[in-house]
Amino acid sequence: MKEIVIAIFILLGSLFMLVSAIGLLRFRDTLSRLHATTKAPSFAMLLFVLAVCIYFGSVMLILKAVLLILFIYLTAPLAAHSISKVNQKQ
Amino acid sequence: MELTLLQISIFIAFGLLLLAFVFALLRLFRGPSSSDQIVALDLIASIVMGFILLYSLLLEREIYFDIAIIIAMISFLGTIAISIYLKRKS
Repeated sequence: MKEIVIAIFILLGSLFMLVSAIGLLRFRDTLSRLHATTKAPSFAMLLFVLAVCIYFGSVMLILKAVLLILFIYLTAPLAAHSISKVNQKQ
Repeated sequence: MELTLLQISIFIAFGLLLLAFVFALLRLFRGPSSSDQIVALDLIASIVMGFILLYSLLLEREIYFDIAIIIAMISFLGTIAISIYLKRKS
């Protein structure tokens, strides 16, 4: 049962990453590409980290995983904002 | 050697992530402006983090989770540094 949930999370996460890469390749505008690569990879990373947490399940790892997810969800919009400011200047 | 369901799903996810990596690399080489290339580098860092998390599931080593934290910090700092540099230059 645990393995099925982990497999679903892993496949869904890599599918989200692939969708984001296709969006990066196919969209025409820089801001559209930024839109494709900001949100989907953070959700994919959330799924991967949840899969690792379910598989190992130790307390220290769960603490580190919460910190990593918080860090990713705090810094992805900041990086996207900074890149869009560069695009605005040019 | 009999593969379990988890190992099969990890290998399928490796294939999908490799495809995503190739798409991001194409955008990195082809990208018209430099902000596109920064976006592609950001996505590549996320894909590498996903690779390392899946690899820790495959090898059953819990300690590989720390590499993902370090890559998250370094990719955020690199994105901010390059975009501030480009903003100052233009």
